Amino acid sequence: MTTAFKSIGGIDSEALRAARIVEGVVGNAWATDAAGKFTYVTPSALSLLGTTLEELNSSSEEGAVGWKRLIHPDDYDGAVTMWRHCLKTGDHYNMEHRVLRASGAYGWSRSSGQPLRDGTGRIFAWYGTLIDGDVPSSAKEQFADVISDALENRAASDAPHLLSLVHPDDRTAAAHAAARAFWTGVPQVTRHRQLQLDGSYRWNETRSEPGYSVSVDIDDLVTDREPLASAGLDPSVENEAEPIRSAKVVESIFGNGWAFDAAGRWIYLHPFAQNSLGVTLEELNASLDEGHTAWRRLLHPDDYEQIAATWRHCLETGDHFNVEFRFRRASGIYVWARAAARPAHDSRGRIVGWYGIALDNDVYKKTVAALRGRERELSQLVDMVPVQIRRLTPEGEPIFFNKRLLDFFGLNDVAQLDRPGMSRMAAAIQSLVHPEDAARLLERLHHSLATGEPHSMKYRMRRADGAYRWVDGRWEPLRDHSGAIVQWYAISIDIDDEMRAQEALRDRERELSQLVDMVPSFLWRLSSTGDPVFFSKRMVEFLGLDIGEYERPGVSALAAAIAAVVHPDDAAKLEAALDRSLASGESFSLNYRLRRADGVYRWMSSRAEPMRNEEGSVVQWYGLSHDIDDQVRAEEALRSSKRQLEQMIDAVPLNILSFAPSGKITYTSKRYLEKVGSPPTHIEDFDALARDLAHPEDFPTMFRRASNGFATGQPFVNRFRRREKDGVYRWIEARAQPLRDADGAIVQWYMASIDIEDEMRAQEALRERERELQQLVDALPVHVWSWTPDGKLAYVNKRSLEDLGISGASFEDFTRVAQELVHPEDAPKVLSTSANCLKTGDSFIMRYRRRWKDGNYRWIEGRCEPLRDRDGTIVHWYQVSIDIDDEMRAQVALRERERSLWQLVETLPVMIECAAPNGEPIYRSRQLREFLGYELESLGGKGRSRLAGTLDDGVHPDDLAGVRASYAHSLATGEPYARRHRLRRFDGEYCWVDTRAAPMRNAEGAIVQWNVVCLDIDGEVRAHEELRLAQERLARASQAASLAELSASIAHEVNQPLAAVVANSYACQRWLTAKPPNIERAQKTVERIIRDANSAADVVSRIRALFKRSADAMAYTTLGSVIAEARDLIAEEAVRRRVRMDIDVESDLPIVALDRVQIQQVLVNLIRNGMDAMDSVAGDRVLGLRARRIGDAIQIEISDRGPGIEFPDRIFEPFFTTKEHGMGMGLAICRSIVESHGGRLWVEKNEPHGTTLVFTMPVEMKAAA
Amino acid sequence: MTTYNHMVFIVDDDVRIREALGELLESHGMRAIAFGSAGDYVLADKPDVPACLILDVELPDINGLDLQKQIAEGDHPPIVFITGHGDIPSSVRAIKHGAVDFLTKPFCDADLMAAIETAIAQDRERRSERAELTMLRQRYLGLTPRERDVLPLVVSGLLNKQAAAELGISEVTLQIHRRNVMQKMMAASLADLVRMAERLEIPITHSRRTGGN
Repeated sequence: MTTAFKSIGGIDSEALRAARIVEGVVGNAWATDAAGKFTYVTPSALSLLGTTLEELNSSSEEGAVGWKRLIHPDDYDGAVTMWRHCLKTGDHYNMEHRVLRASGAYGWSRSSGQPLRDGTGRIFAWYGTLIDGDVPSSAKEQFADVISDALENRAASDAPHLLSLVHPDDRTAAAHAAARAFWTGVPQVTRHRQLQLDGSYRWNETRSEPGYSVSVDIDDLVTDREPLASAGLDPSVENEAEPIRSAKVVESIFGNGWAFDAAGRWIYLHPFAQNSLGVTLEELNASLDEGHTAWRRLLHPDDYEQIAATWRHCLETGDHFNVEFRFRRASGIYVWARAAARPAHDSRGRIVGWYGIALDNDVYKKTVAALRGRERELSQLVDMVPVQIRRLTPEGEPIFFNKRLLDFFGLNDVAQLDRPGMSRMAAAIQSLVHPEDAARLLERLHHSLATGEPHSMKYRMRRADGAYRWVDGRWEPLRDHSGAIVQWYAISIDIDDEMRAQEALRDRERELSQLVDMVPSFLWRLSSTGDPVFFSKRMVEFLGLDIGEYERPGVSALAAAIAAVVHPDDAAKLEAALDRSLASGESFSLNYRLRRADGVYRWMSSRAEPMRNEEGSVVQWYGLSHDIDDQVRAEEALRSSKRQLEQMIDAVPLNILSFAPSGKITYTSKRYLEKVGSPPTHIEDFDALARDLAHPEDFPTMFRRASNGFATGQPFVNRFRRREKDGVYRWIEARAQPLRDADGAIVQWYMASIDIEDEMRAQEALRERERELQQLVDALPVHVWSWTPDGKLAYVNKRSLEDLGISGASFEDFTRVAQELVHPEDAPKVLSTSANCLKTGDSFIMRYRRRWKDGNYRWIEGRCEPLRDRDGTIVHWYQVSIDIDDEMRAQVALRERERSLWQLVETLPVMIECAAPNGEPIYRSRQLREFLGYELESLGGKGRSRLAGTLDDGVHPDDLAGVRASYAHSLATGEPYARRHRLRRFDGEYCWVDTRAAPMRNAEGAIVQWNVVCLDIDGEVRAHEELRLAQERLARASQAASLAELSASIAHEVNQPLAAVVANSYACQRWLTAKPPNIERAQKTVERIIRDANSAADVVSRIRALFKRSADAMAYTTLGSVIAEARDLIAEEAVRRRVRMDIDVESDLPIVALDRVQIQQVLVNLIRNGMDAMDSVAGDRVLGLRARRIGDAIQIEISDRGPGIEFPDRIFEPFFTTKEHGMGMGLAICRSIVESHGGRLWVEKNEPHGTTLVFTMPVEMKAAA
Repeated sequence: MTTYNHMVFIVDDDVRIREALGELLESHGMRAIAFGSAGDYVLADKPDVPACLILDVELPDINGLDLQKQIAEGDHPPIVFITGHGDIPSSVRAIKHGAVDFLTKPFCDADLMAAIETAIAQDRERRSERAELTMLRQRYLGLTPRERDVLPLVVSGLLNKQAAAELGISEVTLQIHRRNVMQKMMAASLADLVRMAERLEIPITHSRRTGGN
């Protein structure tokens, strides 16, 4: 480094030493060339910062300086700007900024620098200091040493002011200026000649301030002028004492000096000091006389004692004196200075005095103080902030825990965590983190370490006492300017209370929520605008609705809710009250009805209070509704009963008396007194009073009852006439009631009396009327009864009793008796009708028989009507029964006769009609009505007579004209009418009828009525018709069976497979003849041919099976009937073909089992064959049919007189025919049918010509089955 | 008949007949598709080639003759009827309505093949005629309204002069139109044009003699 310095040309050894001193003073010094390139940096600074000169001098492309990395990013811009400015202008550089240390931590440092100028004032270098806040103590030491060195080597006159460069003539002046600046703090400007590199001196103007000075070359301006000669204090050291001389030598270096004699008495102090401080040496020394040291007046009182002690010690021992203290400037401000002194020895080595210097280190001192203060603050901050802080290496190893964290864990040092074979991080997590959280934390940490991402998580840490506490841990990396992670900072904040509070809060919230749901009231919440936002669970259950479920478009939520759940009568009131509260913010309270889920409205007492925020505006409304329905209803009931009671008391005119149990009158109500008057003085008890006031006629009864009442203690009632004030007797009703005490003993009797005079009179009048009525009722020749609404007999008049021969029966019994009196035949109807009347309230009118006292039944007409009260409720039933026996008997006889006649007409199995002389029907018998399906009354109208209606609608259109004509004829002439025609039945079917009509004439012979009889002959006519149709059908069927159609169907069935066989055969042929032959396809085709040919064979089998009837279709029948049917079928054809049939069937042939249709077919076929055979015969065409029993078989022979059969052996072969159009199947089928019946069919020759076909049917069929 | 430029449709409810006919036709190198009912046939997608329909009279869903009547309106291939038991009225009716033949099962190979060939030839003819007509219609639609006025006059045999007078235009103009008509209709000669007009059923409205109507 010395070399580096020396390379800056032309700096003498003094200057170099000066720089070295600076380095020594402040610890870290640096030097650059004029361009700012570092030429020297104290080694300690390099190691502190962890950098090299090369790095400092490197510069990036962006123009950043090499030391950018070392400056905190926040401070960098300011620092570099300032530095560049200073390089350009030569201004002093002075900055405080944070510097990154090799340890990775930033620390505050003050960096200052000043230029070095050559003789021409050109800056040729910079040097400066870096005062680090963290190392003040070492700097202090070094500073002290520097001063000591300066004092030791008096000759080594190097100083910041470079006084050595000053022209010796001007040096004193320059030194004086420096001293003046020191002592006064006022900048001093001096002009002096300064040594240039070329050895010449040039005039400079120097501005001195307490710490540094600035020189400007002004030589060109002042060369023609004489320098200002310094007046006194020429350094003529010979004349002075050794201490002063030494002081002056030192002073010439530092600009300041002082000297003491051996006793510590001031002997020299720079004159400026004396001037500026306003003291003289004598004054300073005066304090020695007072027992103090000579420093007394100069120093700050706080510093004095310590300095004085040191000074005394030095004076005594001759040790070097080196102290720091505050001294008082003339301006009154204390500034820090460092003072040093050494003893001056004479030639014999004795101390002859002390010389020393003082240096201003106020700025430095204050900086150090400030740094220390800040460091303390920071350290306190780190230790005191309620945050647990730790620092980790980039690998995650903890290297620093702040005090809080250490306290928390109960550790003294991080190193205590170390465990053998384990990283410190793992050990820390294992021992300090809750086992449940450890794995997660470790994982997160590893993740962060790997990726460099900051992270945070909540986990539990174990406190010194073993308790785990929740913390919120966060960590993030500290990166250097290249982005590499230098360190991790991690903090954790104890959030245990918070977590626990949260938990508690959650519990509390749950509790509250339960509470809200459990309170037996309904809680709700409205928004500030009144929209419902919450219903408690109970409320939701009550309403069966939750928030929002009632919403309707276009209606506010509140209005919709009110409409949905509030009683319509209360809705308006509620809405108004709510609106008022919402508008004014006043509490809300109202009773109204709410609709429960089941639709029942219940009274609720509702209250709502607003919740306000800090500004006082309403945030929400909390409401509570309490079910007060039962209360409200109970209240209502109570109120009404109270009202009733009051009314009663007000309205009822009661006269009240009370008696002691002894009978003594104890109280008479006012009303009583008004009414009856005060009893005379001698009357004091009940007996006397009663005797006095009761009507003599009523007294005994009344008195007896009262006595009885008093005796038994039972309440009693008396009706009697009482004399009133005016002397008139009036009826009253007096009621007496005892009042008993807890033991049941009577304490008092209360008697209340009511005037019942009017009532009694009314009763009297009523009784009178009743008597009259009774007489009336008894006198009437009818039976008058009355019934209670529930059907109990309540009254029976006297005549009834007499007529019916009953008396003395109670009415209970009488009800039964009355029922017994009804004729058994009528009883059920009477009972049911009367029961029905009782139920419905309808009047009862009925004719029935009632038993008289002589035991005979007589017809009566019973009428019973209800008496209703004003409400329509039935009060009584009144029954009047009138004897109508004679009338009834006459009527019954008449009706009986009529009925028998009517029944005669109705039941005759003919249809009968009676018509007026003009033919209009006036009566139709049931048979006719049923036949026609309509009643006579429905005819007519529509401008049409009934007769016309009957004829038009009823008679078959084909027959209508004839019927009309002949009926008209009969009506006109009176001749009887008879005709057959079709008549329309109710179901729309026309039936044949035979209608006959005859006139009925009166005595004068005039026609009064036509009687018409109409006979249904439809069955007859139809039977006839059906016989004919059956013949036709059978004929057709037999023809079908005669094989043309049969063969066609066979042909079709067989043709289908055959057609396929043929087509396949052709195809097969083609495949085989193809070149080359397609054998495969031919094979396939042949397979199909086989299949289809088999299918054709199947068809034939099926046809055969068709004629092989099983016994199932057979039924036991007489063969005669089958033959008769066959004959009927063929009869017509026989006539047409002029063939006579000669049939001879033996009577009493046994019945045989046969298939009727098949045997018929056989017969018809054989008959028809016979007929065919005789077609060409000219003569007698007779077909004989003979059936007779031969052995156990019936033999049937059909013989013709045809030409006979040419090939009798072949005729039964299928498809053998002699006919032109025949299929040749007929006889083959016939034989197969006969054989299936177990018989035989054969042919015989007929003599003289013709053929006979014979077949047999066994009588015993078992063998054939 | 070795190339598949044709198609035979078989409609018969009897699977044996369908198989046998299919086999037979194939042995003759013909293509066939068989259907079990009239409904299947009607609904099926059918190739657009000359074709023949072999139709059984007795079908489960509809009588073959009724089917013939139903599809008579539309464009359908000629029909060869086959029947299990033919009766004269049915066959008369079928032939009257344009059936190619009416064969009774079982039928002879030669008869059937002859009928089928006739039917396909007919269908081919019909198709080509229809294609030609379609082409002619296209050409006719390409005429301008004036040319369409000119065409009937020309084919009626009117002289140019007469036709021009009829339309109230000059003879020269008419000649231009006439030439255009000939070109557009691609008529080789007037006779050709007349034949085309006939095919297009353009009425002959004028007679040269009267020179107008």
